[in-house]
Parts: sequence; C-alpha cells; structure tokens
Amino acid sequence: MADDPNRKHQYEQEQDTDATIDATAQQVDNVLIDLNSAGPVASGASKSQGKIIWEQFAQHKSAMVGGVVLILMYLTAVFAGFLAPYGMNEYRRSPTAAFRPPTQVHWINPETGRLTRPFVYDVVESRDPVTRQRVYEEDTSTVYPIKFFVRRPSQPYKILGLFRSDLRLFGVDDPARIFLWGTNNLGKDVFTRVLYGGQVSLTVGLLAVWVALFLGLLLGGLAGFYGGFIDDLIMRLVEIFAAIPGLFLLIVLASLLRDPRNPLAQAFGLQMDSAQTYLLIVFVLGLVGWGGLARIIRGFILSARELDYAQAAKALGASESRVLWRHLLPSTASYVIVSITLAIPGYILGETSLSFLGLGPSEVDTSSWGLLLRDATSRGISIQFVPWLLIPGIPIFLAVLCWNLLGDGLRDAFDPRKRR
Amino acid sequence: MLVYIVRRLFQLIPTFIGATMLAFLISQLVPGDFLTTKALEPNVRPETIERMRAQFGLDQPMAVQYVRWMRNLVQGNLGQSFVSNQPVINRIARPMRNSMYLALLSILMLWLVAVPMGVYSAVRQYSLGDQVVSMFSYFGLAIPNFFFAQVLILLIFVTRTFTKEAFGFNQLLFPVAGMTSGNHLDMNAWGRFWDIMWHMFIPSFVVATAGMAGFTRVLRAQMVEYMGSDFIRTAKAKGLGQRSVTYKHALRPAIIPFVAGIGGLLPDLVGGAGLVEVTMSWPGITPAFLEALNSQDIYIVLGLIVITTILLMIGNLLSDLLLAVVDPRIRYN
Repeated sequence: MADDPNRKHQYEQEQDTDATIDATAQQVDNVLIDLNSAGPVASGASKSQGKIIWEQFAQHKSAMVGGVVLILMYLTAVFAGFLAPYGMNEYRRSPTAAFRPPTQVHWINPETGRLTRPFVYDVVESRDPVTRQRVYEEDTSTVYPIKFFVRRPSQPYKILGLFRSDLRLFGVDDPARIFLWGTNNLGKDVFTRVLYGGQVSLTVGLLAVWVALFLGLLLGGLAGFYGGFIDDLIMRLVEIFAAIPGLFLLIVLASLLRDPRNPLAQAFGLQMDSAQTYLLIVFVLGLVGWGGLARIIRGFILSARELDYAQAAKALGASESRVLWRHLLPSTASYVIVSITLAIPGYILGETSLSFLGLGPSEVDTSSWGLLLRDATSRGISIQFVPWLLIPGIPIFLAVLCWNLLGDGLRDAFDPRKRR
Repeated sequence: MLVYIVRRLFQLIPTFIGATMLAFLISQLVPGDFLTTKALEPNVRPETIERMRAQFGLDQPMAVQYVRWMRNLVQGNLGQSFVSNQPVINRIARPMRNSMYLALLSILMLWLVAVPMGVYSAVRQYSLGDQVVSMFSYFGLAIPNFFFAQVLILLIFVTRTFTKEAFGFNQLLFPVAGMTSGNHLDMNAWGRFWDIMWHMFIPSFVVATAGMAGFTRVLRAQMVEYMGSDFIRTAKAKGLGQRSVTYKHALRPAIIPFVAGIGGLLPDLVGGAGLVEVTMSWPGITPAFLEALNSQDIYIVLGLIVITTILLMIGNLLSDLLLAVVDPRIRYN
C-alpha cells in the first residue's frame, strides 16, 4: 500500500494543505494581536501577517468605502435622537400631518431675492373638491427659520440607553414642521423614523449572526472534532433545517412565536413587548441561519484535527476540549470572520422582510426600515402619490451593499493567493 | 449509477422524517386551533365543534396526530383545509402553478442575461464593461426584492405621467399588480397567454436581478480560471478563433456548476418569488402561505412546507446526478 503512487500523491497534497492551514492559523493569531495596532506602516524588514492583511485590505478601495459608510450609518443610528428633529413616535393629532410630501426648504429671501439662512413655511392642507386628493399649500405669511441645536423638553431621548437629552440638531418653531422626507399615514416624520429604524435594522443582523455563530461553532466544532455518530447526528440536523425553505421557516417561526397566545409564550408568561419581539427576531434569524456556518466549520475542523499542530498538542497531553477550543477553533477565525461579514447582509434582509410583512417589531413603539416600507403598501395607497415613502429602502440597500463590499474585501485580504 | 440513486433516495428518508417532524412541531405552536375561533361563532353548536375536533384528530396527543398526518401523507393525502373544508392539495395547486410560471420566466431571463454578462466580464477583465457588470451585480445583490418591485411600480407610474403629457398616451407600460387583466376571460388562448406574460414581466425581472449577482460573479471567476489554463493556450496556438475558444472551450467547463444547479432551481420553481409576489399581488405560493398562517389553517401551512421540502430534496439530488452526467471527472461508484 505504501508504494501505491496514488497514495504518495495524496500524501503530498496533504502536506500542501498542512502548510496553508498552518499559515492561516498563524495569520489569524497575528490578526488577533495586531488588528488594533496595525496601520499603514512603512515596510521595514519583515511584515507581520496582520500588517500584510491590513495593507491588502487598505488597497481594496470598495471595501474601505463600504467600511466607512457602515461606520457612518451605525453612528447615525446611535445618535438618531440627536439628529432627528422629532421623537420616533411623535405625531400631531390635530391638525394631522398625514402623507405630507417632503417639506421644501427655502434658501432665497422672497423680499430681497438674496441668499438667506434656510427657512420653511407652514403648510396648509386641503382637499381638491373634484379629485378628493390632498393638496398642500405653503402659507407664506410667516417665515420659520431652521434653528440649530434646539431643545425640545417635550420629547427627550436617550443615547445608547444611557444619556438622557432633549437637544436636537435642528428644528423649526411651532406650528410649522420640517419633514425632510415627508410623513407617513399617521403623520410621523419619515426622516426621523428612518434614523431610529437603523437602531433595529442595523443591529438585528449583528446580533443574529452571533446566535448563528454560537450554534455553528458549537455544533460544527463538535461534529468535525468527534466525527462518527455525533457528526452524523448534527449533520442530519443541519440537513433537516436546510430542507425547509428558509423564507417559510422564518415567516412561520416569527409569526407563531410572536403571538402572545402561543403555548411557549403562555408557559413562560411572555407578553412580547418591543424588546422581546426584537430578541425574538434575532433568535429566529440565528436559528434559521446557523446551518451554513456549522457546515463550514465542521469541514475545516475535520481536516485540521489531523494536522501536525493538533497532533502535537494532543501528544503534549492537552485534553480533547483544549485541543478543540484552544487550537482548532481559533484556526477557523479567518474563515469565520469572512463568513460572518457576508452573512450579516442576509440577516438584515431577513429582518426587513419580516418587518415588511408585519411580522417584526410593531409600528406602535418601534421603527424599522422594513416596517417603513410597509407603510407604502397599506390599503388604499397608490405609490405614485406618496413616492417619498420608498426612501427607507435606500438605507437597506446601502447597508446590505456595504456589508457585501466589506466581506469581499476581507475575503481577498485573508486569501494569500489574491495578494497584490 | 442506479445503485447510487437508490442509496441517495434511502438517505433522504431520515431527513424527510426529521423535516416533517420539525414542521409539525412548529405547527403545534399555533395558539389553540382554528376550532377555537369557530367555537366563538354563535351559530355553531358545541357538538359540531367536538365532532370536527375528533374528525381532525385534534383531541389526540401530538404524537398520534403526527402519525395520523404522516400516514395520510405517505398515501398522498395532505389532509383537509380547516377553513374551506376542501382537500389541501386543491387549495395549494393553483398558487403553486402560478409561482412556477413566475420562476420559469425569471430563470429564463437570468440565463439569457447572466451568461453573456459573465462571459463578457471574464474576457474583458478589468475593462469598463466588466466594472459595469460588477456594479450591476452588486446592485442586484443588495437591493431587497420587495423594495425593487416597489421602485419599479413607481417608475411605471412616473412613465405614464410623462407619456401622458408628452404624447397623450395614458396607459401603464406594465401592469403593477395581479396576474390577469379585467377582461382576461374574454380573450382567446393566445391573448390570455400574452396577458399573463405581460403581467409576469416585472416580477420575473425583479427575481432575475437578484439571482444575477451570484451567477455572473461565479461564472466570471470560473471563466477567468479556465481562460488562463493550458488547454485554452493550446486551442489558441492551433489557430482557433477567439469566439470558438471562448464559447466552445472555456464556457463549456465553466458552465458545469450552473447546469448542475438546474436541479437546485426546482425548489425555486415552487418556493416562489417570495415577497415580490406579496408586493405585486401575484397569486402565488407566498401570499397563500401567509394567508393560511393568518387564518391558522395548519394543514395548508404544513402542506406547503412539505411539498417545497420534498422538491428541495429532489432538486438537490438532481443537482448531484446532473453534475455526474455533465462532468466526466465525477464518477459515483
């Protein structure tokens, strides 16, 4: 058998993979150490793996742009309270301001014809006597200049749930209103709700991926490491989850679990307030999505556990769990980082889809981009008269796009064959 | 080959049982059952409720219900719809057919557009066209289907406003909702066909755009790899034209994974276009699913899940078999 040429060939191949996988493991260790300190350093003697990866990544322009845009988007979500002129659920009962088109901001003083500080007019609403369409007319008698750093004690907010404030970046005096992106059917400011919506839509994916990662690492790691019966069992489970179409599984889980009358909620006495609904969506998305990660990790562990460094650790007397948790799982890090980054946009789309169907957070106390797009589909609304209700789709598009760009950039940066 | 197929089919059995069990378990989360709401109706007698409960086996423990349902399933009986009191199969056949039309057209569009795009961007790597293709595929990847559909609807309306003012043409270029026009029944067969095609165009286009991204990217990578390989150099060296080299020698091996992927399209065919169907009021499988879920019609929900699950599994099997057929390097023995 030992003389079999095929076997020799195979052995060489294994050696080859050894080298790559060892290199990856090294690389990952370095990344973990260097990621914080690494920057575009002048190349001296020999560069650490972390530096090489960072330099590769920095060359990837689209990925850098994606990363920067994402940072900005997450910052706006954090400071939504400050940036938004109104409270998330603030609306006026009478006169209502439903379906207002975006408020026109004027820059030219009508009397002097010169550039002036931006101002708005109050808007008077009436109905066209023939078509019954809403007609909005500016009441040009009073000028309402846009004020910056206004305090609105009636609508306080919290940043990160910690810092209370009522300072808003901009606003106008009552009774005028400034709706940069118009209002929805209840007269809530779309601009404000898009900013607040990011707090849900951008973070659900981030959290859900950790749920999926936890399950994927645990089950994929166990399957790959122990093999045999455990492997079969876990992989069957993955197949079972993969066999049911994802969208249906998502819809059915979300819709049934969020119903307060379902047996589980009854058993635990859950009432499903907005925070619980949020966590539920996170959990459901993670539950539907862990299979892919588990598969990747299992495959990796399966090949890595036979490699020299794993064998060496075992020979040195390391326990099985130590080999798995300290040596094998960390070596999957570069794969995992890339898989996560490319999985997050999927979760963002999942959340917006659920919200769009009305199966996510409720309109009453939360905002989400999918929920805002749902406004545009409500009964009796024709999109041609309220085109601004489609604006919330743009941040979804941007977020998903940027996560994809970032993920592609990371994948190329980690891949030694794509070095430039 | 036959042995392999049979073995694979047997392997599907535990997965299938597991998946149906999972689906059934989930369906037990439905609060109460449809009879709880029915019992509230004043004109329904309690005895009727009890009789129906026994008839559907709802008074039995969960395991018994599952076995009963499974036994029926094996015999091809998906049970009765609670709400309409018709066999489930009758209720879901039509939405499945409608979804299939949509999926077929979108797959056709996908192939017609994505193959040339992928080939082009591989042959003209890093050219302006390549970058445009890449941008376009990122666009398709990132835009949510339902949002894209909404944007297109808006565009259709805007176009009408424009053509009305410019040419006095007060018609929508494409219908924005549904599957048939109001006068559909008055048309002849040919007219009906075109009517449906016309309604199908926008939703299929949206679905195709979403698939485009992955397709062109993978095809491009495959093509680039083959274009740099030895046998292509040989083909060029013996004087073959660029077209022949590209399409006969490089595209053929590069397209293999996609040919194999045709099997994987089967669940797409019934899985439907998802939220596009909801946005554009296409009477397909997703709206049917949502409606059944809303009215707590458990057997319809289960029926839809089971059928799509079966098709998904068959599709995966078909993919593997097709791969073996088209790729001579793979042998299943």
